Amino acid sequence: MAKKTYDLLFKLLLIGDSGVGKTCVLFRFSDDAFNTTFISTIGIDFKIKTVELQGKKIKLQIWDTAGQERFHTITTSYYRGAMGIMLVYDITNGKSFENISKWLRNIDEHANEDVERMLLGNKCDMDDKRVVPKGKGEQIAKEHGIRFFETSAKANINIEKAFLTLAEDILRKTPVKEPNSENVDISSGGGVTGWKSKCC
Amino acid sequence: MDQSVAIQETLAEGEYCIIAVQGVLCEGDSRQSRLLGLVRYRLEHGGQEYALFLYMHRRMAITGDDVSLDQIVPVSRDFTLEEVSPDGEVYILGLISGFLCAGSDVTVQLNTAELNLVFQLPFGSHTRMFLQEVARACPGLDPETPNPEFLWLSRYRCTEPEPPPPGWNSALGTWTGCARIGGGGSYLDDLRPNGKGLLVDQNSRGHDKPDNLLTRQTKSRSEMNDMIRCSTITVSDKAHILSMQKFGLRDTIVKSHLMQKEEDYTNIQNFRFFVGTYNVNGQSPKECLRPWLSHSTQAPDVYCVGFQELDLSKEAFFFHDTPKEEEWFKVVSESLHPDAKYAKVKLIRLVGIMLLLYVKQEHAAHVSEVEAETVGTGIMGRMGNKGGVAIRFQFHNTSICVVNSHLAAHTEEYERRNQDYKDICSRMQFCQVDPSLPPLTISKHDVILWLGDLNYRIEELDVEKVKKLIEEKAFQTLHAYDQLKIQVAAKAVFEGFTEGELTFQPTYKYDTGSDEWDTSEKCRAPAWCDRILWKGKNITQLSYQSHMALKTSDHKPVSSEFDIGVRVKDEDLYRKTLEEIVRSLDKMENANIPSVSLSKREFCFQDVKYMQLQVESFTILNGQVPCQFEFINKPDEESYCKPWLNVNPSRGFLLPESSIEIELEVFVNKTMATKLNSGEDKIEDILVLHLDRGKDYFLSVSGNYLPGCFGTPIHTLCYMREPILDLPLETVRELTLMPLCTEDGGSQLEKPMEIPKELWMMVDYLYRNAVQQEDLFQQPGLRLEFEKIRDSLDTGMIDTLDILSINNHSVAEALLLFLESLPEPVICYSAYHNCLECSGNYTASKQVISTLPTFHRNVFYYLMAFLQELLKNSEKNHLDQNILASIFGSLLLRNPAGHQKLEMAEKKKAQEFIHQFLCNSL
Repeated sequence: MAKKTYDLLFKLLLIGDSGVGKTCVLFRFSDDAFNTTFISTIGIDFKIKTVELQGKKIKLQIWDTAGQERFHTITTSYYRGAMGIMLVYDITNGKSFENISKWLRNIDEHANEDVERMLLGNKCDMDDKRVVPKGKGEQIAKEHGIRFFETSAKANINIEKAFLTLAEDILRKTPVKEPNSENVDISSGGGVTGWKSKCC
Repeated sequence: MDQSVAIQETLAEGEYCIIAVQGVLCEGDSRQSRLLGLVRYRLEHGGQEYALFLYMHRRMAITGDDVSLDQIVPVSRDFTLEEVSPDGEVYILGLISGFLCAGSDVTVQLNTAELNLVFQLPFGSHTRMFLQEVARACPGLDPETPNPEFLWLSRYRCTEPEPPPPGWNSALGTWTGCARIGGGGSYLDDLRPNGKGLLVDQNSRGHDKPDNLLTRQTKSRSEMNDMIRCSTITVSDKAHILSMQKFGLRDTIVKSHLMQKEEDYTNIQNFRFFVGTYNVNGQSPKECLRPWLSHSTQAPDVYCVGFQELDLSKEAFFFHDTPKEEEWFKVVSESLHPDAKYAKVKLIRLVGIMLLLYVKQEHAAHVSEVEAETVGTGIMGRMGNKGGVAIRFQFHNTSICVVNSHLAAHTEEYERRNQDYKDICSRMQFCQVDPSLPPLTISKHDVILWLGDLNYRIEELDVEKVKKLIEEKAFQTLHAYDQLKIQVAAKAVFEGFTEGELTFQPTYKYDTGSDEWDTSEKCRAPAWCDRILWKGKNITQLSYQSHMALKTSDHKPVSSEFDIGVRVKDEDLYRKTLEEIVRSLDKMENANIPSVSLSKREFCFQDVKYMQLQVESFTILNGQVPCQFEFINKPDEESYCKPWLNVNPSRGFLLPESSIEIELEVFVNKTMATKLNSGEDKIEDILVLHLDRGKDYFLSVSGNYLPGCFGTPIHTLCYMREPILDLPLETVRELTLMPLCTEDGGSQLEKPMEIPKELWMMVDYLYRNAVQQEDLFQQPGLRLEFEKIRDSLDTGMIDTLDILSINNHSVAEALLLFLESLPEPVICYSAYHNCLECSGNYTASKQVISTLPTFHRNVFYYLMAFLQELLKNSEKNHLDQNILASIFGSLLLRNPAGHQKLEMAEKKKAQEFIHQFLCNSL
């Protein structure tokens, strides 16, 4: 049995239409860097980052999902293990915003009931190409009772804040309890595939 | 000394004292020593419960007789024991009360729903371990585990009152001997003469209502969370990190990185250290020690004060207990520099060798990992009449070890002294906070200060000569005869240590109460017995002197002041360094997530045909981390891919930077053809390539299937007057999905053919070419020819077979495959059991056949006629009724349950059924 290494492990998930910048948001947060070349994520990627909140060391395991429509059936099956979901749209892409309700429905259907949700309007540095006013994002977030940030992975706006806020929201409803090692140990191979165990 | 042993003797069977610590119970101004024992009880049904037993005790409890139970606090769900920030006052060494009021001890608060006690526990790893054990014993908030009931404690509730043992450490008088369990209030309140009836009150609460233990466990969770949150933890940060038991490997790495980068976030800052040594010759303090301890103008930051021969009595030697300890401690504490307030960090004593460590009040928070140990080198090489005591501690980020030793006496025994030094060095071992680390030795410290009565004498000179040189203040000349100087020069002792110049006269031996040299019979030669040495970087000695004014002993005290450069942490830089380390570890961890690259992720299989293998391959190239890959099932699917697809290999292991070629094979057989024809299934799939502990990759497979007669129902084929590939896909789909009717529905469709033209093409070919073919239906065909036959059937190129002069066996096999791939067999599933039942009765059998749908009936009689035709040539083709019945029986009659292998009896009946139609006229 591996030794306990963290106070807590939070699994977060990034979802949203293809090309809204999910991978860039994650890359900015984990590596504090930005890459302009667009490589569509075809699969499930993840990175870890350790943060300290309220004196607790928290390991965030963040899953980045394929946004392409044809993979939706599969990606929804990764929702189940997530404690927090970041739903990302692109403020320069109206369609990606229109799809928000569809994504929210997906969360309702496939994620844990108590999952902490957050809405991000990404690419807010590209104000000249903006088609989704900030107010619309705020409104839909308000309707669903979730937090909202406009972010830019490129200009590094609100990225860290969004992740830390989401982690804090999860921490708030995490019962104060000695974490047992099963909860936090990821080295034993659970990996990111929530439904994998079913087939073995 | 492990005092849990003493507690264990008082416990009942099944109870086990895990760990004990001696602490001070603080209530208002009162300070009471208590022994705290964590006791575990194993329940009969498994599981365990814990309680904290508080004992009054003799100073060092060795047996059960030394302890007396005061109260029991069950470790229930509302139990917390936490470090609290001591208010400033606690740090200050105020007026010394009877007890050794701890300076920078660990203050902990014990809370239950009804109880609130404050203890001071000694610094160090033992306390740390105790707190960790208690934390471990606390029942979690997991609602699954039952609330502890503590029924085993009921035994203690009705303890009969006993007379108090005489001579107990408290003068409290009316000790009831009845241990209290849980319960609030203070013990002292109970015992006060005007206790306001509290005693009765509380006992009744504790005794008569055992269920109150249960009721208070039902406290709401939120209430408890509040309790946990509001306690603040303030200890020096290193200790804080270390106290968190959850930290394992990663924390160890962080710590070692922090150590490596220490210079990045620390600055050297000088602190004034006072080091003093005094052999008091068993005397009690008679005079103020200020001339020795406070002679300089500047108040030292740290005091290291050592005594030897504190108590020469037998009692001290054998029972290790002496009133002198407190006497000297008190007078030292009172003689510290008046310009500052000091906190006692530690007192350690081995018989007569005592070492005291004080720091200025404001530095107390920066002292951590305090450990003290003793090594006896006296009688039998072990006893404490000679030897050393040492205190090690972390001051800011610098580790410091202070040693006080009393080495062997007598002029000629210098080698014995050398040996004592070596023994102390090798046997002095300090526990580390992390028990997995090996114990620390003296030499492992940044700064070592060594003081004591080292007992080295002046040799080769007679007493008078020595005294004369002293009178002349020719200390340098005299020093040449000093055994310590000689032994150090010979590297026989104190290697690497430095000593300041001796500018004071020898400190031994004087007539007590005077500055006169020893006038006793022995008339000992004067010697520099009392010395101070040091080892380490950034140490500047400011003074080194004796103090003639003190006359209590036959020795004079010696002091030395140092400026010692200590690594002090810059909080901002420290945080920055720590963040960098965490970031680099995260980066490392991310780099260690298995990751591969794929040469291709989209696969298109065009014009997939029945029973024609198509293969596409790609390469998995591994990154830097060894990885295990596997194609995994998607949710709610039974296999990782569709039945017409196969991945080879579908799992494997890859070394760093190695690669593997994976083949995707598409192959459509009879079980999938119909659904592909009908469009119910498509050549479309997504594969999930999973890396163990790593990412998942999606691979898309797409393509199209060319419909064919294989796998198409008989009636559908009858309605296809055109070759199947000439029909629009939509028509193929519609016709394939068309239900099979027993009677022609008089549909609007074009008039169907009586049998499928494809069947006719094959049978006609065989009729024309193969009636005399030996071993017909018994020799395998050629795969390549099968593909040609399939294509000519599907494209309607009737002549192709003849033009290519296809092998008879290939056509015969194609016919069998055609019959096999029919989704509904020639004799419909619904008629299967009827057929088997009337097998042997030809009339009845014919009756069953007549109930088949027209197209199926047509096909059946057409095939039977053909087979009878073949039998007419049996002389040439060697076929007989049995062979044909056996081949066609299982093709025409198929069990609706779909068992691949028919039972022998069923198989036999099916053959028999066909057999009738081969030997009778149709």
